Amino acid sequence: MEIKSYDELNHLELDTLREIGSIGTGNAATALSQMLKRQVRITMPEVRIMGYNEAIEWIGGPEEITAGVLVRLSGQISGIMLSVQPIEFVNLVLESVMDKGITNYEQLSELEHSALIEVGNIMISTFINALSGLADVNIDLTVPAYTVDMQGAILAVPMAEYGGQSDYIMTIGGNFVCDNRQVPCRLLLSPDIRSLNVLLRKLGVSNG
Amino acid sequence: MASGNKLTVGIADMKLAKGEGMLVTYALGSCIGICLHDPVVKLGALVHIMLPLNMETGRKNPLKYADTGIRETLKQMEAQGANRSRITAKIAGGAKMFEENGGSLGSIGQRNIESVRMVLRKEGIRLLKEDVGGGVARTLLFDVGSGLGCVRSYGRQELII
Repeated sequence: MEIKSYDELNHLELDTLREIGSIGTGNAATALSQMLKRQVRITMPEVRIMGYNEAIEWIGGPEEITAGVLVRLSGQISGIMLSVQPIEFVNLVLESVMDKGITNYEQLSELEHSALIEVGNIMISTFINALSGLADVNIDLTVPAYTVDMQGAILAVPMAEYGGQSDYIMTIGGNFVCDNRQVPCRLLLSPDIRSLNVLLRKLGVSNG
Repeated sequence: MASGNKLTVGIADMKLAKGEGMLVTYALGSCIGICLHDPVVKLGALVHIMLPLNMETGRKNPLKYADTGIRETLKQMEAQGANRSRITAKIAGGAKMFEENGGSLGSIGQRNIESVRMVLRKEGIRLLKEDVGGGVARTLLFDVGSGLGCVRSYGRQELII
């Protein structure tokens, strides 16, 4: 049976999506680990289906400034994938790669912004590659777009994109742990409803 | 700006205040915050819309869309004694958060701006001030007592509208 809204997903389907999240985030963590030459683990990945305002609270309030890398998915699966990079994550990257830290985003140089885009892009691509292999689907990715601004407005991008289909947003993602420090790095995949049905069918959990 | 009781307006949400009071909505990206004000009865409303046009069949959530959101808000204001001919509007938002290559039919932000302006015109509401477009997120505070709006952005000076 095809779902028409994110809140129609049953437990089996949610577990399947959680598994995708786990494998995708795991692969992304390995890629990050190689880039930083440090051990990076992942915490329990989450699949969340949230109302708009609930999602904003979940990510830590609307006005917090963060860097965001956005990639669009097209092909058999369409959607938006975001790498939301709070300052702790930015510092983890900068400390490892350039041996420096920042206290606010205005201190970032052009080169450092580029490094963050690249790290975000590689993690997203790795996640999607894993997903594509797992479900045997072709997915094309756009060139990454980047901004530093209020995280509420960044998260509103996938909400607005699928706002005509649903009053909920679905996110799949997780956090990283590096040197026993929990670093909030939110890798968020928001597929559209059609693609969600394709995914569930390909993975053999939809009844259709 | 005067403080007093502050009401938060979420996404696809609307709040009204009479007399004094501050209405605030946070982190408008492509979304638009619309302040509607009747100075005579001192009634103000702030609605936070996300998309330009309501094409849902059930129309469960009118405040999500510019057209139905503005009309619903006007209806509630009129129910509380506001007069259509006195109501004025100030708007903020409609940004493009990510500069993407080869974008499709114009950004959602731009379509929101056009739709809000059109609906206000159709409803006969005068648009007094706006701070729209560009690439920055905006937090919008609306002081119902004075009818003034204040726009807060990252890396930009506060703006009074």
